[in-house]
Amino acid sequence: MKIALRELRRRPGRFATATVILTLIALLLLFLGGLLDGLIRNSTGAVRAQQGGVVVSSAASQSSFLRSRIDPDLRARVAAAPGVEEVGGLGIVQLGARVPGNGPRDLADVALFGVEIAPRGVPNVPDTGEVWADRILEADGVRVGTELLLGPARSPVVVVGFVEDTNYLGQAGLWGSPATWRSVVAANRPAEIVADGVFQSLVVRGSGSPVDLAAAVDAATGGATLSLTIADTANAIPGVAEQRGTFNQIIGVTVAIAIVVIALFFALLTVERVALYGVLKAIGARSRTIFAGLVVQAIVVTVIASTVATVVVLLLDAAIPPGSIPVTITVPRIVSSVLSLLVAAVAGSAFSLRRVLRVDPASAIGSSS
Amino acid sequence: MFLALKEMRRAKVRFTLLMAAVGLLVFLILFQQSLQNGLITAFVGAVRNQSAPVLVYSVDGRRVIQGSVIGPELEAQVRDAVAGGRVGRIGQGTFTVTADDALSEATVLGYEEEGLGSPTTLVTGRLPQGPGEAVASAADEAAGFGVGDVVRIEPGGLEVRVVGLADDIQLNVAPTLFVAYETYLDAVRSRNPDAGTPPPNVLAVEPAPGISAGDTAALINAASDDLDALTRADAAAKTPGVAQVQQSFRVIFLLYGLVVPLVTGLFFLIVTFQKAPSLTLLRAIGAPAGRLVAALLVQVLLVVGGGLAIGIGLYAPLSVQRIGGITLRFETAAVIGWSIALLVLGTASSVVSARRVVAIDPAAALGGTGMDR
Repeated sequence: MKIALRELRRRPGRFATATVILTLIALLLLFLGGLLDGLIRNSTGAVRAQQGGVVVSSAASQSSFLRSRIDPDLRARVAAAPGVEEVGGLGIVQLGARVPGNGPRDLADVALFGVEIAPRGVPNVPDTGEVWADRILEADGVRVGTELLLGPARSPVVVVGFVEDTNYLGQAGLWGSPATWRSVVAANRPAEIVADGVFQSLVVRGSGSPVDLAAAVDAATGGATLSLTIADTANAIPGVAEQRGTFNQIIGVTVAIAIVVIALFFALLTVERVALYGVLKAIGARSRTIFAGLVVQAIVVTVIASTVATVVVLLLDAAIPPGSIPVTITVPRIVSSVLSLLVAAVAGSAFSLRRVLRVDPASAIGSSS
Repeated sequence: MFLALKEMRRAKVRFTLLMAAVGLLVFLILFQQSLQNGLITAFVGAVRNQSAPVLVYSVDGRRVIQGSVIGPELEAQVRDAVAGGRVGRIGQGTFTVTADDALSEATVLGYEEEGLGSPTTLVTGRLPQGPGEAVASAADEAAGFGVGDVVRIEPGGLEVRVVGLADDIQLNVAPTLFVAYETYLDAVRSRNPDAGTPPPNVLAVEPAPGISAGDTAALINAASDDLDALTRADAAAKTPGVAQVQQSFRVIFLLYGLVVPLVTGLFFLIVTFQKAPSLTLLRAIGAPAGRLVAALLVQVLLVVGGGLAIGIGLYAPLSVQRIGGITLRFETAAVIGWSIALLVLGTASSVVSARRVVAIDPAAALGGTGMDR
């Protein structure tokens, strides 16, 4: 083990190229993971911020807020379902927002939510004409007190506070009252007007597990609703499941490439050192000690590569302007990527085990094995 | 040549591992190339493959058809700006539909006249000629959107019969139906009786004779700060998300593209060091450096070529599949382009090894390895 570490210290050049390659692979893993997290965070924040157990939509909507309609009768049946304690209406409209001081064509993308139950981070449902805004809008020059003009009708709303991580499909969340939402929809989206008392979806709080609550609601409405837990609602947003599946497959194949690259590199190193291993075995070193040295070297190289890649990806994250590449680097993503690479390092170096076991100590008598 | 092949036969595991690594990388690059192109086509195919040379959005629409609303005042300004040209309305919405006895999501895009928003890639059937008819995206034929199939808009039950299929006309990664404008309005009312008669989402413009699409777009934009006129190509390229997807994939391709020559270069550098004594001996008995370098290059080309074969072999069957709503395609241009690029990069990566071979001193056979590390 000590020999392996000493070799790393004394002959770092021997491991340099492999470290560079692994750094690139680690960078790929972190970037791919960050891209996946960024895309999903950007799409699902508004749903994850809901303070309820279940989101209820009309059955025909397939969980799309925009296509869902819940009228007062249906809402009453939801409220009467066993276990339901509180029901809050929710509506959404996606618009461009004019920010004072910005150019006439320089609009911010927003999703205005009208809610009866305030989401996480918003203390109370604001008064009519007021909204809480997602902090991402600060990049567009929005501040507390800014009056935004929404849509072609220039419907005014005043920002009274900021909230984190509430974007919907890449658009900044604005959180207002149902009255604000209704007036903005009526002025800007005639095709989406809903009658008084009608909402697009409901957020339901209740007793028991969210899964049971969802089942109870759908049973109470006779299948007229589609109720999902918050996590399932986020996952049902168009593209989220597909993005997650596809990116995870790409990340999986990239880890497989890391395994092959590490296996290749250490197989070559092992071939180079067969004579040395023969000598070590002849003076009493056990195969497992030699193999452990290889694994340690693989782990050290991977840790160095992962550290460099993490620093680079964090710098990249800081350098990417908001609104371009949606990369979000999180600690869990860094940890999971580094762990995957460490597993790949151990698995890759294990390819050399057979060759180490085959080394004959007697070969030390000659010049090679 | 003989030496190169013989060595590869004797060290099968090493060379196979390298080929497998290159093959997996090639596979990933090509797969992601298909994914990128498929994703963008599924996002904006309907914009790219509709017939209007210019599309006019409201600035508030943020270049999303469904988000744009053109009121009567803006419409009048557009008609004034393109005097001599043709202007047609386009309406678009995403609807829940029953197709093939199952609920699914579909985009309905209504246009008024052929040439002003009609699909241009019809592969079978005909364009809609009356109410309740549609051209559907060919990629969704098997999902209940084939010619003769009836798609029902939910709720409301408005029935639309598919009379034609067109390639690459999806919008928002969903089955897409091109219908007459009146049919679109019926669909909106079917879903939401409170909706009334909504204004068009965008306007389709055919420039006046002698005026280019770009100039027409500039004329319209000059008419009002609330209008956002784009040529067809710009409308597709500037749809929100498209540039982000392309930028993200560009970074990914760059990183994968760097890994291939690095892995190949590292491998041959190590192998060259390992066989330094043999190479020195060969030089000492008269083998010219050029022949040894040629053997090295043959190995590089065989490894990268083998990797390409493995990668393309893995990619080919996957490239004809669908992932979610995205139709993948075998990207011949990408295969050729990446093959050439990786062969060049792979060969270039062996330059360091080749220089080492050239630098071998035959006299060192008398007492050393022939090269210092």
